[in-house]
Amino acid sequence: MVIADPIYYIVLPLLTAFLLPLFGKLYKPLIGIIPGFVFLFLAYMSVILMIDIRPDNPIITKIAGWTPPFGINLVFSSFSGFIASLISIMGFLIWAYSYKFKKVGFDDSLKYFILLLLVVTGSIGIVLTGDIFNLFVFLEITGISAYALTALYRGRDGAEAAFKFLLIGAFASSMILLAIILLYTQVGTLNMAEISVRMHEVDLKIKVLIFILFFVGFGIEAEMFPLNGWVPDAYSQAPGPIAAVFAGMVAKAGIYALVRIIYLMFDLEGAFHLLLIMGVITMIIAEVVALRQEALRRMLAYSSIGQMGLIMIAFSFNTEQGVFAAIFLMFNHAIIKSLLFLTTSFLVYNTKTKLISDLDGFGKKMPLVSLLFGLGAFAIVGLPPFSGFWSKLYVLIAAANQHMEVIIALILSVSVVEIIYYFKVISRLYFRKASEEIPIQKPSLNSSIVMIVLGLIIISVGVYPDLITGLIENATTSLLNKDLYIEKILPGLAEIIN
Amino acid sequence: MMNSLFLLLFILFGSAILSYIGHRISETLGNIIVVVGAFSASIWFFVGFETPAEFSYKIADFDALWSFSSYSWIFAALVSILSPLALLYSTSYMKGKERLGTFYFNFFLSILGMIGITMSQDFISLFIFWEIMTWSSYLIVIYLGKDVEKVGIKYMIFSAIGAYALLMGIVLINREVGSLLIEDAFAYFPQIQFSTQLLIGILLLIGFSIKSAMMPLHVWAPGAYSNSPMSYTAVFSGALSKMGIYGLGLVFIRLLSSGEFTLINEIFAWAGAITTLMATFYAIIQDDAKKLLAYSSIGQLGYIIVGVAIGTELSIMAAIYLAILHAAFKGNLFMAIGAVEKQTGSTDMTLVTGLIRKMPLTFFSTLVSIIALAAVPPLGGFVGKWMLYQSLLASEHFFLIIVIFTASTAAFLYSFKILYSLFLGQEEPEFKNIKEAPLPMLIPMILLSLFLIVTGTFPGILFEPIANGMKYLGFNDVNWNMSLLVNAWGDEVNLQHVSMYIGTIFIVAFIFISLKNRKRTRYVTTKDISTSGEIPLPHENLSFKLNFYKPFERAISPVMKKTMDSIYDEIGNGLNALFQFIRYIYSGNGQGYALYVIIFFVLLLLLKNQIFGL
Repeated sequence: MVIADPIYYIVLPLLTAFLLPLFGKLYKPLIGIIPGFVFLFLAYMSVILMIDIRPDNPIITKIAGWTPPFGINLVFSSFSGFIASLISIMGFLIWAYSYKFKKVGFDDSLKYFILLLLVVTGSIGIVLTGDIFNLFVFLEITGISAYALTALYRGRDGAEAAFKFLLIGAFASSMILLAIILLYTQVGTLNMAEISVRMHEVDLKIKVLIFILFFVGFGIEAEMFPLNGWVPDAYSQAPGPIAAVFAGMVAKAGIYALVRIIYLMFDLEGAFHLLLIMGVITMIIAEVVALRQEALRRMLAYSSIGQMGLIMIAFSFNTEQGVFAAIFLMFNHAIIKSLLFLTTSFLVYNTKTKLISDLDGFGKKMPLVSLLFGLGAFAIVGLPPFSGFWSKLYVLIAAANQHMEVIIALILSVSVVEIIYYFKVISRLYFRKASEEIPIQKPSLNSSIVMIVLGLIIISVGVYPDLITGLIENATTSLLNKDLYIEKILPGLAEIIN
Repeated sequence: MMNSLFLLLFILFGSAILSYIGHRISETLGNIIVVVGAFSASIWFFVGFETPAEFSYKIADFDALWSFSSYSWIFAALVSILSPLALLYSTSYMKGKERLGTFYFNFFLSILGMIGITMSQDFISLFIFWEIMTWSSYLIVIYLGKDVEKVGIKYMIFSAIGAYALLMGIVLINREVGSLLIEDAFAYFPQIQFSTQLLIGILLLIGFSIKSAMMPLHVWAPGAYSNSPMSYTAVFSGALSKMGIYGLGLVFIRLLSSGEFTLINEIFAWAGAITTLMATFYAIIQDDAKKLLAYSSIGQLGYIIVGVAIGTELSIMAAIYLAILHAAFKGNLFMAIGAVEKQTGSTDMTLVTGLIRKMPLTFFSTLVSIIALAAVPPLGGFVGKWMLYQSLLASEHFFLIIVIFTASTAAFLYSFKILYSLFLGQEEPEFKNIKEAPLPMLIPMILLSLFLIVTGTFPGILFEPIANGMKYLGFNDVNWNMSLLVNAWGDEVNLQHVSMYIGTIFIVAFIFISLKNRKRTRYVTTKDISTSGEIPLPHENLSFKLNFYKPFERAISPVMKKTMDSIYDEIGNGLNALFQFIRYIYSGNGQGYALYVIIFFVLLLLLKNQIFGL
C-alpha cells in the first residue's frame, strides 16, 4: 500500500526544488533524474487517488492538524483531483521530454528543473487548496517561476517577454490580494467553503466589486482578452517544453481558479453573462489574430488563447452539459496543445527564422515530428476521429440546449479560421519542396516517446471517448454540487449559519 | 463472429494501413495490397451481406446505429464498384510517384468515410465519417503539391463551412429530438417549431450541397477536381460528390416532407439548374481537359440536384439514376484523361492531338462516356434525361426545363471539344511514339464503358435497386421496366429497338466510311499547310483548337464577367484586411498591455450596474 495523500503534491516538489542544488553538488546528473522520480510518484499517486474518488467523497487534507476554517486544507475532489492529476501527469511527460535539458552554450538545467518543480507545485496548489489566501500564495509561486522560466534563455527577447509577463502578473497579484483583503473584512474568514456560506451576508455592491477584482486578476492568468498581452511573448520566448507547461498547467490553473470562485463563492447571474461575453471576445480576437501570425509559436500561443476563450464560453452556460464540455476541453487542450508545443519546439529549432514560411518540406526531414504536429493540428481544430472533436461537439450541444444559436454559429465560424491557419502549416510541412538542405537536429528517443504517448492519448480518446467521459462526469457533478463541497469541509456549518 | 458491417470497415482500414506499410517496402508489394484490399472490400460488400446487418453501439452517451438502408445501399454500391476500379487504375497511373503509401492510405480512408456515411443511421457517426472523408480527400487534393495554398485551402474552407453547417444542424436536432438516430429525427421532426425546422433544414442542405458543388458554393470544386491525381478524381467526382446527393435526398424527401417547404425546394432546384448552366459555359471555354471535366462534373451534379429538389417520384428516380450514371461516365472520363496525361504528359487540349490511332481503346471509352454524358441514345444518359424532363414537365417547371435544356445542348459543345481535340485532328510528330495506356488502366475503363452500353439498353438493371431504395424514401410502388420507358401520357420508348436501330446505322456507316476513305486518308501535322508568305515558326501553335469556340465565348462573356471566385476573393481580402487591423491590438508594447488591464478594470467598474443588474 502506497501512501497517497494530496499533501504530497505540494510538499514533494517544493522540497525537491530546494534540495536540488545539493543533489547537484553530489552528482551532476541527479539534477535531471531526481525531479523525474518526484513527477513519476505524483503521477502514480494521481492514478491511485483518482481510482477511488467519487463526487460524494472528496479527500480533505488538513494541514498541520488544524481543522478548517482555522487551518488550511487541501480538497482533492473529483473536479480538483482531475485537474491536479492532469497537471501532474503532464508534469511527468514534460520532464520525460526534457530531462536532458540543456541549451547549447551554457548549462541551465539546475534552474530549469527547480523552476519546473515550482511551477508544477504552484499550479497544483491553486487547484487543490481550499483556502483563498493560500490560493494567492500558490498563484505567486506559479507566477514568479513562470516569469523566470520565460527569461531562462537570457536573450533580449526573453527578458522583454518576461518583463511584460511580470508587469501584467503584478496587476493580477495586487488585484487578487485586494479582493482577498476586502473579502476578509466582509466575511472574516479565508476558508473558501465558509466564504461561500457567508457570502449572502455581504452587501451586493461590495460583492460585485470583489468579484470584479477577482475576475480581472484571474482573467489575466486565464488568458482572457484584453488581459492576455503577456501570452504571445511568453509562449514564444520560453523554452519549448515550458510553452507546453504554460498551456497545459498555468492557464488551466488560472481558469480553474476563476471558475472555482464563480461557481463556489459568487452567486451572481451577471458573472456568467460576463464570462460568456469575454469568452466570445477572447476566442474571436485570438483566432483572428492567430491567422495573421508568421511565427509558428506565436500562432500557437494565440490559438491557445482562443481555446481558453472557448473554455470560458462553455463554463459560462452554468449547466451540467456546459461544465462537462468545459472540463473536456481543458483536458483536450492540455494534451493537444502540449503536443503541438513539444513538436513545434523541434520544428522551430531547425529553422533559422522560426517562421511558418521556413517549414517547407519538413514532413520529409522530420517525419515523426511533422506527423505528430499534423495529428495535433487535426485534433485541435476538432476533426474526428480525434479527441478534440468530442469536446467541441459537447460545447455545441451545451450551447444548443441553452438556445444560443448565435454562439454556435460564432464558435463554428471561428473553427473555420482555425482550420485555415493550421492547415496552412500542414500543407507547408508536407506539400512543399524543401528549400535547402540544412542539418537537422533529430528528436531524442525520450522526447519522441513522450510525443507519441500524447498522440496515442489523442487518438484513443478520439476513437473511444468513454475512456475519459466517466471521470469528467464526476468532475462536473463535483463542481456543480456546491453544498456537498461545503458540507464535506465544514460539517454542519451551513445549518449553524443559516 | 465479427459484425459484417464492422468487418467491411475493418477491411478498408486494414488495407489503408497495410498499403501504407507495403508501399514503404516496395511499390509492387504495395500495389498488390491495394488491389487485393480494394476488391476484397468490394466483394465482401456485395457477397457478405446475406441478411440485413445491424450494428448498434453507444459512443459518449449517444446511440449509434450502423446499417444499410435500401436507399443508402445504392450509394454504397456505387462506391464499392467505382473505388476498386479506380484503385486498380491507380496502381498504374501513380507508378513512380513519391509517397505512394500516404496517397493510398488517404485513398482508402476516404472510401472508408464514404462507406461509413452510407451505413450510418445516426447523425453522429455520419458526421464522423463525413469529416474523415473530408480531410483524407483534402490530403489527396494537395498531394501533388500544386497550388497547395489556393486550391487546398479553398477546398478545406468550403468543406469546413459545409461540415459545420451540418454539425450545427445536428446539435439542433439533438436538442429538439433528444436523439441522434436518423429515424428518430424523421419521426419527430414535424413536431418541432416551424422556424427551427426551417433552420435545421437549411443548415443540413447547405452542408450537403457544398459537397455536391452547388452554386454559389462550388468554387472549391474545379481546382480540387483537376488538381488531385486523376485516379482519385474519378472517385472524387464520381462517388464522393454523391454523398452530398445522398444527404440532400434524405433531407428533402424525408425531413422536409411536410409540404410547407416548397419554396426551399424551388430555390434549390433553381440553384441546381443555374449551376448546370454556368458550369457548362465554363466547361466550354476551358483549354485544359481536366478543368473541362471538373466543370462538367459540377454541371452534371446540377441536374441531379434539380431532380432531388423537385422531389417527385419520377424526378428522384431520374436523379438517382443520373447519379449512378454520372459516377460511371465521369469516372471513366477522368480515367481516360488520366491515361492521356500519363502517356503524353499533358492534358492541354491545344497541344495534345490525334491520339485515336495511338490510344484507340482510350478513345473508345471516352467516346462511350461522352455519348452517355450528352444523353444521346442508346447510352444510359438518355434514359436519365428523359425521366428528368418528364418529371419537370409533369410538375410544371417549364422555365427550369428551358434552362436545363440550354445547358444540355451546350454540353454537346464541350463533349465534342474534348473528344475532338485530344483524339482527332492532325497528328503531331512529338506524339509519334505514344503507346496505348497499360492494362491496369484500360481494364477499368473498358468495364465502365461496357456498363454504360448495357445500362443504355437495359436500364432496368439499375431501376431495380433504385425502386427498392425509393421505398425507404416513401415511394412505395415505383413502376419500372427492364428496357421500356413509359411516360405519363402513355407514350412508350422501347430501348432495345432504339439500340438496335442506332447500332445498325452506326455499324453500316462505320463500314461504309472506312471502306470509302481507306485509300484516301492522309495523316498530316499542323505544320502541313500552305501559307502565303507567312511562314510559321517551328514552335508556333497552329492547332485550330486554339479559341475553339471563340464566337460562343464572345456571346456568353457578359454572364461570365463576375465570377463567384472573384466575389469570394473580395470577401477574403476584406476579411484579411480586417484581421490585420485587429492584429494590431497586440502591439507588443508592455505598457500598452498594462493599460488594457486598467481600462478593462475601469470599464467593468463603470458598467457593473448594467452587468450585474444592481
